[in-house]
Amino acid sequence: MAGAEGHVEADNAEAIITRIEHKTRKIESLLKQYKPVEALKTALEGSPPMTRDERCKSANWIVVHRAIMAIKDVDGMLSSLDPEYYDILMKYLYRGLSTGDRPTCDQCLRIHEKLTVRAGLGCILRCLADTVNTERSTGSCAKKVGSF
Amino acid sequence: MASTLRLYLTCIRNTLEAAMCLQNFPCQEVERHNKPEIEMKTSPELLLNSVLICRNEAEKCLIETSINSLRISLKVKQADELENILTKKFLRFLSMRAEAFQVLRRKPVQGYDISFLITNYHCEEMQKHKLIDFIVQFMEDIDKEISELKMSVNTRGRLVATEFLKQFI
Repeated sequence: MAGAEGHVEADNAEAIITRIEHKTRKIESLLKQYKPVEALKTALEGSPPMTRDERCKSANWIVVHRAIMAIKDVDGMLSSLDPEYYDILMKYLYRGLSTGDRPTCDQCLRIHEKLTVRAGLGCILRCLADTVNTERSTGSCAKKVGSF
Repeated sequence: MASTLRLYLTCIRNTLEAAMCLQNFPCQEVERHNKPEIEMKTSPELLLNSVLICRNEAEKCLIETSINSLRISLKVKQADELENILTKKFLRFLSMRAEAFQVLRRKPVQGYDISFLITNYHCEEMQKHKLIDFIVQFMEDIDKEISELKMSVNTRGRLVATEFLKQFI
């Protein structure tokens, strides 16, 4: 099962990375036009689901991180974001919180509070319980949410 | 500074409220045994994703959940060597008396200063929101305690040195 998935992943990985590069350019231009909300929406839209490849996840994380750090008005951003992206955003917030970098953590904590008020505890629980999109190593190793 | 602390504690409180969904689950491997699955980590299907919440480079909180138990590990801010020693001694003092706290773990998880282990039995005997209040209050008080200890050590050192050196005047 791992072998077959490996072949499929290799083809998809290149395609996904190309898509992420396109997204990066689009997001840079949106940020230059002072539209951080659209930038974040674009970053979250193309999140590759069910990808095991670390490079795709890291590449996507870099893009989302850039968009998150550019957000100044959190309330406005959350009111214009579709509810379907709340779960994805929450997962990226936890990834941001696990980095330990002070400005990232400050921003992520700010957004986390407002997002919890909006989306509720269910959103957090879905992050904790998600096995499909998140890496889970078998055996006795700990599992990290930050691999989304 | 105070606002990041408030946000950090709010984040931890929300995450704990979501993660503290524990139920009784007898051990799958050994019959008639009931173990906290987060400590055994033998079956991946019983574990949830662990979450690391960092306030900055020095302070972080690791929350790991399983079906019948929850482990919270804290790393407390230590600005200098003296705080390092004080924190270690103080938290070791508390950990040794873990029986009195019930939810405290005798040894902190590797890389952290103190750990809590909450099982489904604790949730049955005690109220969930009070347990969470306890953890958050603990985090607030730890910082105050360490600062007080540091101040008292410095004051005592100063007094002792003054008295000792008076004989040389």
